[in-house]
Amino acid sequence: MIGTLSRQTRVLVQGITGRMGRTHAGLMRAYGTNIVAGTGAPGTVDGVPVFADPAAAVAATGAVASVLFTPPAETLAAGLAAIEAGVRLLVTVAEGVPAHDALRLGRAARAAGAVWVGASTPGLAIPGVIKLGFLPDVALRPGRFGLMSKSGTLSYEVGYRLAEAGLGQSLWVGVGGDSVKGVRFADLLAVFAADPATEAIILVGEVGGTEEEEAAEAYAALGAPKPLLALIAGRAAKEGVAMGHAGALMHGAAGSPDEKVRRLEAAGARCFSSIAALIAACVSL
Amino acid sequence: MLLTEADGKALLRAADIPTPPGQLVRAPIAPEIPGPWMVKAQVPAGGRGLAGLIRRADTPAAVEDALRALLGATHRGHRAGACLIEQVAVGAEHYLAIALDPTGYGVRLLHRAAGGVAVEAGGRLAGTRLPPDPAAIEAALPGLLPPVVVPVAARLARLVLSRELALAEINPLFVTAIGAVAGDARIVIDLNALPRQPALAARIAADPDAYPDAIRRHENGFDYVTLDPAGRIGLLTTGAGLSMMLIDEMAAAGARPLNFCDIRTSMLRGSPARIIAALGWMAAASELRAILVNIFAGITDLAEFAGLLAEALVARPVAVPVIARLVGRNATEAAAILASRAPGVVLEPDLTRALARAVEAAR
Repeated sequence: MIGTLSRQTRVLVQGITGRMGRTHAGLMRAYGTNIVAGTGAPGTVDGVPVFADPAAAVAATGAVASVLFTPPAETLAAGLAAIEAGVRLLVTVAEGVPAHDALRLGRAARAAGAVWVGASTPGLAIPGVIKLGFLPDVALRPGRFGLMSKSGTLSYEVGYRLAEAGLGQSLWVGVGGDSVKGVRFADLLAVFAADPATEAIILVGEVGGTEEEEAAEAYAALGAPKPLLALIAGRAAKEGVAMGHAGALMHGAAGSPDEKVRRLEAAGARCFSSIAALIAACVSL
Repeated sequence: MLLTEADGKALLRAADIPTPPGQLVRAPIAPEIPGPWMVKAQVPAGGRGLAGLIRRADTPAAVEDALRALLGATHRGHRAGACLIEQVAVGAEHYLAIALDPTGYGVRLLHRAAGGVAVEAGGRLAGTRLPPDPAAIEAALPGLLPPVVVPVAARLARLVLSRELALAEINPLFVTAIGAVAGDARIVIDLNALPRQPALAARIAADPDAYPDAIRRHENGFDYVTLDPAGRIGLLTTGAGLSMMLIDEMAAAGARPLNFCDIRTSMLRGSPARIIAALGWMAAASELRAILVNIFAGITDLAEFAGLLAEALVARPVAVPVIARLVGRNATEAAAILASRAPGVVLEPDLTRALARAVEAAR
């Protein structure tokens, strides 16, 4: 589903009547995203028809993707309703979704064959084409690098400096900072490998979990199809405490950045210890 | 977040999983339970055994000696405010854990009939994937485990699901012919579930020694983690990943960052309270030499942030250089606001140079 996004993709915004939903629906439309419906108290918001639930919105407008601006505790129910309504791509931006809720949402999305991006994500974008979420325009620039990141801000910094260097992104996906989530790095490698606009892949990872290790395995299994450049944050993280992101938790040897770097490099990726070094490598590719 | 062993064992006992007789103490006293004893520093971090924070004692005097050595010890950034004294347990040492399985969207059962420090959670053992459903798990366990371990595993699974845990690991689990006793407990809770887990929330709130960072997060609504109490550079930053990266880059340059910070600028809502709180914690650090402010504003209005920063610096002046790097919406206006209302702040638009200036100021 991510590979087929276009200017025509019909997009629903759940929670469009809230402060955040309304603001970002406007910013997404200004970017060119085809917002066809919202959910909330029925009526209209800035000309977009608002329906009571995703089922009514999908039936009336044919929306296939949905961006959810719901509070964390309501994200599971809203996501299940979207999947039930036939939405094929969900982007949940809420930070703080309980991990056991994420297990249930992930099971439902997988069973329905839907793609879930999030939670705790700024969203995704094909620069110049479509933006789902709130990746900052100043960092979005069409180009040849596929970018995927657990962190919002660290990827903004990478995208911004790529743009400053005259480079840009073919597709940018924030997978989010939670431990239990929808799309993972390993899933996206196949998308980037198949995307003709992507010449190289940037992975922005961090301490905690095993997502980078899974990506290393998937990259090797794909035969290292395109250059993979990785930046892993959190070498100086404090053990036993989540570093801002719920998933950024190291305990014992589990989740340590050194292990992630070791596994990625063994699979053929290049790892960098500063943003500047990563950007310099992108420039010289 | 990782719980201390003592808190983890309290959860296990509430789930009817036995633990050795023990007592939690905060001063060097003689044991009230029969020996021989294990004396264990209570810090929420692994590697205690190798660091000498778990000691065997065969006499009451040896218990008191161990307590004197371990109380107040620090390990991986945590201070041991309490020690657990336990009667030495016996039996074959097994490893047993139930962990969330993020790729299978269920749980993973991990078991080995030999436990000990060599076995680590998640990594070396593949385990068995199970759905997040207590009845299905209980039906599967007899085919996967020795009979004496089955009831413990069933209770552990119910605990993980009812308390919304990320990991419940018992290593070692002492197994004898008549039952099993949890020799250690490594429980990772989900802070995002705390609002609907009041018993866990109360446990965290009751122990500021063990969980200062979580309590601070709960009380202030944002993340600030002290990494190095003798650190010289305070960070006032937004975004977890970028804050971690800055810390790594400063450490690689030989500097000593004081803290991790994700202030969440989108949640300031016109109040300088969070900035004032963070400045106060930094100012209380004995070796503070510089403060680095880094805000990449995708959405945030930097002019508004600059006004709040100026207001906070008036309410809570700091005696060290403040280097600020602000990128995004209304950056020019923000620079003008700082120049007039907080002229001491050094503005540096390039992140690499801003880092270098902070490192230089902290030498």
